[in-house]
Parts: sequence; structure tokens; C-alpha cells
Amino acid sequence: MSGMNGTRAVRVLLFGAAADQAGARELELQVRDGATLGDLWNELTGRYPGLTPMGDTLAFAVNQEYAGMERRVSPGDEVAILPPVSGG
Amino acid sequence: MFAIVEGPLVVGEIISGAFRPDCGAVATFIGTTREDATEGARVEYLEYEAYRPMADRKLAEIGREIAERWDVREVRIVHRIGRVGLGEPSVVIVVAAPRRGAAFEASRYAIERIKQVVPIWKREVWSDGYVWVGSQVGTRPAARALR
Repeated sequence: MSGMNGTRAVRVLLFGAAADQAGARELELQVRDGATLGDLWNELTGRYPGLTPMGDTLAFAVNQEYAGMERRVSPGDEVAILPPVSGG
Repeated sequence: MFAIVEGPLVVGEIISGAFRPDCGAVATFIGTTREDATEGARVEYLEYEAYRPMADRKLAEIGREIAERWDVREVRIVHRIGRVGLGEPSVVIVVAAPRRGAAFEASRYAIERIKQVVPIWKREVWSDGYVWVGSQVGTRPAARALR
């Protein structure tokens, strides 16, 4: 199935320390049907091993809302990798 | 009113905008950037980034949470992003309520929730490198050792 943007890609945004560790702030990943956030994380750490040590500290968002690792991701979704927040 | 802005916060205007005839209390919390120093190094400035518009929406959600818990009539949260010099306001929270108890409690709640759920991050830029607060990842000698 194709996403609204006509590709099979998920847009991945990285912030703060996660962007540093990956050396990227924005990228696209292809996802297979039925893929979860956990699958996407595995793919991401395969490409950017520097992210692996941060794993336990990170939160994730799908389409701008917090989501767990079991959350399904589909082409056209926006996934964000969120280090511990430190506003204020 | 909930906003994320670049550039200095005009604190007086944010506060006075919350004054209302049905409220007898306006509580304000202002977070300012703190100088930190260790032997041989010091913080020069802070740099904030936000995931937008999720961060904007989370600020408004905190406002709704407050309205469910306390009798307040106006909640304003304005967070600054980008480069912020030492001792400058980075966040201003204003709560107007008929009575002071609700105003005090709700403003405390707002800053604690910001630090839990709003996707905003700060980076301390030191004289010897930087460090992401919360992750302790960065280019300072001490932060590099943790990688």
C-alpha cells in the first residue's frame, strides 16, 4: 500500500542528543506491511549504531503523539525519536 | 495562550495579559537560564530546540489538564527556543485564578509537566564543548566519556 505522499517511506525525525548520535536529523526509511515502531527502531540502530546506547532513555512519537514500540507504522507516517525532554 | 517563540520573552506583557476582573490572584513562574561552572570550564549560553507542532500541542494539553483540576480562568505558557543567554527567561508561566491557592498550585504543576511531556530540549554550551541536558551526550570531555 502506498502512503499519501506516494512512497513507501516513513519520515523519521531525530532531536537533541539522538540527532547527534545518529549524525542525522531527518531521514526516510522504507517499511514493510505490518511493521511496528520496534521494527523501525531495529532498522535505525542497524544503520546508526551510535543510537543503540540511548535506547532505554528514548521516547517515540508517531504523527506527533507519543507511541509504544508495538505501534504500527505505515508509509507516510512521521516518526520522531525523542531523547529525555529538558525544557524549562 | 500557549506559544513557543524565538527571541527574548517580554515578561511584563505576558503577565499583564492575564489580568482579569474575575480573578484575585495571578501566579507567575519564570524559568531562567543558570550559569554553571566546574573547575576550568563554564556555561556560556543555552540552546533550546522543540519538536513542533507537537510541543505546541503539549503545552495546550497542560492547560487543559490544569482547567480540569483547578478553578483557574487563564493559563499562559510561553517557552523560548534558540540561543538564550545566561540569566535570561526561557519559560514564563502565568495562571490567573479567583483565589491564590489554585494559582500557586497550577503554576507549579505546569512547570513540572513541561519537564515531563513537552518535546523541548536544551543544550548547555560550555567553554570546552556542549552537553545535552537529560541525555548527558555531547562534546564536552566528561560527556564524551559516557558515550
